[in-house]
Amino acid sequence: MDKNNLTPEESLLLISKTIEETKQRFQENGHILVLWGSITFLVFFLQYFFSLTGLYKKFDIIWTCILFPLGAIYTFVYVRGKEKKNNIPKTILGRIIGTMGWVVGMNIMILALVFKDHLGNAMAPIFLILFALQIIIVGVSIKFKPLIIGGILLNLIGFGTFLVHPKYYGFSLMLGSLVGFIIPGILLNIAKKKENV
Amino acid sequence: MFNDLDPILHSQLRLSIVSILMTTGEANFSFIKDTTKAAAGNISIQINKLQEAGYINVVKSFKNNYPNTTIALTSKGREAFETYVNDLKKYINPK
Repeated sequence: MDKNNLTPEESLLLISKTIEETKQRFQENGHILVLWGSITFLVFFLQYFFSLTGLYKKFDIIWTCILFPLGAIYTFVYVRGKEKKNNIPKTILGRIIGTMGWVVGMNIMILALVFKDHLGNAMAPIFLILFALQIIIVGVSIKFKPLIIGGILLNLIGFGTFLVHPKYYGFSLMLGSLVGFIIPGILLNIAKKKENV
Repeated sequence: MFNDLDPILHSQLRLSIVSILMTTGEANFSFIKDTTKAAAGNISIQINKLQEAGYINVVKSFKNNYPNTTIALTSKGREAFETYVNDLKKYINPK
C-alpha cells in the first residue's frame, strides 16, 4: 500500500476515510451509559421500595455499597478489555473523558458515604448536577445530540429537585437516570448499530 | 501536475498514518497497522520518512515485556497536514 500519484480528490477521500475509520474504533456503544443509568435507577427504586416497607435504614447502605462499586469494577474491566482487544491508544480526549468519569464517580461515592450528613437534603440534587456535567461533556465530545439534550435535562432536573419536597427526591433520581443515562444510552446504541449495518 | 503538494505527505500510506495521528494525537504501531492494514515493514519505512521530516516523534519502550512503539504527531506535522489539506482544496476548487 503505497501510491505516490494520488489525485487531490483521492487524497481527500483517503484522509476522510482514514479519519472516519479511526473514529469508529473509539466509539462507545452506549452500553456503559445504560448500565450506570440502570444501576442508579435500581438503587433509588430499591431505596424507595424499602422506605415504603420500613427497611430503608437496613438496606440503604448495602445497595449503595454493593451496586455502585460493582458497576465501577465492571466499567474498569470492560474499558480495559475493549482497549486491549481493539488495541486502542489513549487519546487526549479519551483521557479527559475517562479521568473525569472516575473523578466524578469517586467524588459521588465519597460524598454519599462520608459527607452524607453534611449534605443533608442537598445530596440528591448535587448528584444529579454532577452526573449532568459529565453527560454534557461526553455528549459534546462525541458530538451526539441526544446525550447533550439528556445532560441538559438532567441538569434541569437537578436544579428542579431543590424545589421539591425531599420525599420526592427518589423520583427525581429515577427520572434523572432515565432521561440522562438510559434513553441517550439506548439511542447511542441504536445509532451505532445503524452505522455498522 | 501536483508539484506544490508536500511530497512527504503525498503518499498513500504516509497520508493515512498522519490522518490517524490527526485524529488520535498519538498511536502505537499495532493500532496504525490494524487501521491501515498495511505490511509492518512498509509502515516502518514510512514512519522513518515522517520522522526524518520532523512530522512525528517515535518513542520505543516495553509494555508487559513486549516492544511498544508509540508514534505522536509533532506541531510541525500538524501544520504540514493542514497546509496539505488547504493545498488540496485549492486544486479541487481553484479560484
